[in-house]
Amino acid sequence: MSRGNRTDTALGLSYPRGPLARILRVLLYAVVVVIFAGPLLALLVGAFGKVTSPTEFTLIPQGLTLDNFTRAIDRDVLLYLLNSFVVVGGGLLLQIAVSVSASYALARKRFPGMRLVFLLILSTMMLPEEILAIPLSLVLADVPVVHVNLIGSLWGMILPVAAWGFSILVMTEFMKEIPVELEESARIDGAGEFRIFTAIVLPLCRPALGVIGIFGFTMIWDQYLLPLLVAQDSAQFTLPLALRNLRSDEEVGLGVLLAASLLALLPSVIAFLALQRQFMKGLTSGAVKG
Amino acid sequence: MGATGTRAEPVPPTAPAPPGPVADRPRTRRPPWTRWRGFGVAWLFLAPALLIFTVFKFIPMGRAFQMSFHEVRPYLGDIWVGMDNYTRILTDEAFSSAIVRTVVLAVGQTGGSLVLGFALALLLEGTAKHLWFVRTAVFLPTIVAMAVVAEVWRILYYPGPDGTVNSVLGWVGLGPSQFLNNEDTSLWSVMSVGVWRGAPYDMMIFLAGLSGVDRSLYEASSVDGASIRRRIWHVTLPALRPVFAILFTLAAIRGLRVFTEIFLLTNGGPNGSTEVLMTLIYKVGLERHDLGVASAGSVLLLLATVVLTLAVRFARRGDSKAAS
Amino acid sequence: MSQRRALQRLVVPVMALVVGLSVAGCGSSAAEQDPNGRLDIWVRKPPGTETEQTAKDLAAKFTEKTGIPTKVTAIFEDFETKLSQAAAQKQLPDIVINDTAQLGTLVKQGLVREIAKDSVEGHDQLTPISWDAATAADGKAYAVPFSAQTLALLIRKDWREKVGAGVPSTWDELNALATKFTKDDPDGNGEADTYGYVVPGSTKRGYTAWYFSSFLWAAGGDFLTGEPGAYTPAINAPASLAAVEWFQKSFCDGLVVPGAATLETTQAHPDFESGVGGIYLTGPYMMGKFDAKPGKDLYEVVPLPAGPGGAPAALAEGENVYLMAGSDNQDGQEKFAEFAVSVEGQTLAMDGDQPGNIVRLPVNSTVDLAAVRTDPRWQIFDEIYQSSARYVPQVPEWTPFLQSSAETLNAVVSNCDTQAGPALDELAATFTEELGRQGAGG
Repeated sequence: MSRGNRTDTALGLSYPRGPLARILRVLLYAVVVVIFAGPLLALLVGAFGKVTSPTEFTLIPQGLTLDNFTRAIDRDVLLYLLNSFVVVGGGLLLQIAVSVSASYALARKRFPGMRLVFLLILSTMMLPEEILAIPLSLVLADVPVVHVNLIGSLWGMILPVAAWGFSILVMTEFMKEIPVELEESARIDGAGEFRIFTAIVLPLCRPALGVIGIFGFTMIWDQYLLPLLVAQDSAQFTLPLALRNLRSDEEVGLGVLLAASLLALLPSVIAFLALQRQFMKGLTSGAVKG
Repeated sequence: MGATGTRAEPVPPTAPAPPGPVADRPRTRRPPWTRWRGFGVAWLFLAPALLIFTVFKFIPMGRAFQMSFHEVRPYLGDIWVGMDNYTRILTDEAFSSAIVRTVVLAVGQTGGSLVLGFALALLLEGTAKHLWFVRTAVFLPTIVAMAVVAEVWRILYYPGPDGTVNSVLGWVGLGPSQFLNNEDTSLWSVMSVGVWRGAPYDMMIFLAGLSGVDRSLYEASSVDGASIRRRIWHVTLPALRPVFAILFTLAAIRGLRVFTEIFLLTNGGPNGSTEVLMTLIYKVGLERHDLGVASAGSVLLLLATVVLTLAVRFARRGDSKAAS
Repeated sequence: MSQRRALQRLVVPVMALVVGLSVAGCGSSAAEQDPNGRLDIWVRKPPGTETEQTAKDLAAKFTEKTGIPTKVTAIFEDFETKLSQAAAQKQLPDIVINDTAQLGTLVKQGLVREIAKDSVEGHDQLTPISWDAATAADGKAYAVPFSAQTLALLIRKDWREKVGAGVPSTWDELNALATKFTKDDPDGNGEADTYGYVVPGSTKRGYTAWYFSSFLWAAGGDFLTGEPGAYTPAINAPASLAAVEWFQKSFCDGLVVPGAATLETTQAHPDFESGVGGIYLTGPYMMGKFDAKPGKDLYEVVPLPAGPGGAPAALAEGENVYLMAGSDNQDGQEKFAEFAVSVEGQTLAMDGDQPGNIVRLPVNSTVDLAAVRTDPRWQIFDEIYQSSARYVPQVPEWTPFLQSSAETLNAVVSNCDTQAGPALDELAATFTEELGRQGAGG
């Protein structure tokens, strides 16, 4: 009798063991999916239905309506969504630019103090964002040397995000793998540093850019404490921040929160599904292994 | 020092000569400024990062450090209080119970996510297409913003008997619970949300680890007639030890800095039963206007994170040394 | 090699520079005065609502009359933390319109500046009791009163008639009514989904104690007793204990809406609105909202009856116009304050019968309430304010008392096994300590 696939996984689950085992397996899968994806699915269903109080929150559709969304739009949800996109877009761009250029120096150049700089950057990964948030908000109110006040402006949420040790780490590891010969030959041909950087190194970095892109997106979109401290007017709220104020509504009750929450989670889910491979690669990459 | 030259002269294609004793290196007579130009370019590339890190990470840290030694009164002038703020934190009842709660929450969330994540990984290991679908569905909580997670769970945890979780509990015959509204159940309720969100993340990492386990070991154990349970205990778990270690560290550090979920789920209530260090620091700093004490708390939390990270790093280095 | 060492030697001075930069603020001297400088006004109202609009209208009218530009920012959630942040950044707005309860805290941190009552044009037109709210424990005024309000019970009239009960005039009748609301299905839908009391019981902003204070006083109890500057705790006195036990019992008997212990007011309103609970102690500012839903004819305004052994009482509160420290247009600040208490300013801010009022009951006694507000229910509130309302004790900082009371009350009502007596004794001890710390104890 064939052993089947009894040794391809730790539990040997794909080993066919009869219809009862199969039903049990499918049941387990279903339970697991309901537990983890269920609440979010209910959110999807509820956003398009009539859910006025928490007791009506289920997986079963309660009528089909767009009222929640129209109400949410009345309450400025589109503005909050726009703010979120601006912050994530600007922040991610800045983050990538800063990380890529810094890791080029760290991966390629040898210079005194390099190890110190690398250590410094690494050490910031031990400075959790939440702990720094309050003093950071004070610094943002009166940025040294330039003396501008970034509180009450989306820039106060965009600029600090550019400093992320994780993306520098990942990029540096990746750049080290790129063969030096390409650059050397370009250098021999007389190309300047910046040309080498933009024309040769950067294009080769695309895979890693995907990784830091998706991680950066998720990290920035998820931010709470810093935007909470920077936003002064509701006009500067990002969508996650605004959810707290949308908890109830005189017209559609809970519905407006459900619609806004759905809008707040869709970009992350879409970005994740689009860049899933890169995400998984990043999860298991050297950065995680420390 | 082998700086990659910027002049168009033939440079050996191998890596630059490593810095050795001065006498060994071939002396090429280059004007000093080319070397500095090499450094200059490097620093130029580094400059944006260094600037941003300094302004947005190091200076705030310095500020927190400075404030921690003062009673901060913006319009009346700061007063130097030395170690007073620190003493207050280490002796004040509110802070010490917040510290205990932070640790309990961190340990609970870490442990729960690890165990559940491992179980999920075992269940969903494999290359079948349908498994990919299940894994992706299970992974959703981790990528969704914390604020959304908190709002959804606030709804699920509605304390009336017809709230979602209470209804489900009703099906299995358990009574309705007050969840977030009762001192005794609030911390566990919050912890469960953390586990719900963290387990899929751990699952993914375990899956990567599991795929790296040598299949021949499984073959060997089944030839020896070992049951699945023994196989997992003796082959899988030891192979995953480094994975457990990393996840433990990551999760523990995550646990120390928890803020958003508590802020949105319970704001530390009821009656401070879910007050953790970070939410207390926020309250003390911005609701009770005591930035000095809040900064001292932040510095202590920072030290704990650093110590934890370094300790695990040293322990693992010792581990791998012993193993080799 | 020597370069590395040279650079390593640079590390220390660089670090010092970083720390130094972070420490040295840009030394700001006292703000230079500009009598036409823009006045930044912060109001504690939800953004995008009619109340924000009224505040903007008030500011616009002021600008029209005086030519001084203004900018209104409406913040609701986290108002105090935002203000605290602004203070830490030394960038306070010029004017803050906020609760009277904030007076002590603001004075203590030096965030507001003193104002001489007599220099305020029209100060003699203001109701005397309203100045209590703007006067700190040292007898000086640090704000100008702006709006006043008090609390009364809003009761679902349709429910009350359906269960066949009269308007409650004692606490026993009130509880009986709440019990009927919970047990007798007053909305007739066959489900046990209705409750008696709607209570915002969260400890956030001390809501539990804020809500309960009217009941406490109506039962003859009190937080503190004595004269300002010589207070002693009264929270564990027999009358107070009886009131707290009554409060706990209402929770434990299930007469209160579910989840009350973590509800803030914005989350409690919907419970009355959508018919989860039928008795709600709140202010006249909610009438606009509740007239829409559940509907003007479906509820009535009833003064809180006296408790056993007490006299009618209700919490008086209001809002002040605070003149913030560090302003660069102190002259403009005072002009704005004068406009805000003038008949024109008060009338504008009262917004007739519209829900966008930012002045509930006027502090200017020369304003004819009946002419501005046609709704007779406002008269009920006004009578309560004039006859039996009380402001919170005049301690330098009421917030710690409010907060610790809220935490104790919240604990007592969340856990039916908790004995109220010992909890209140502990609270009284906390009060004594706090009184000592503030120098307000007797």
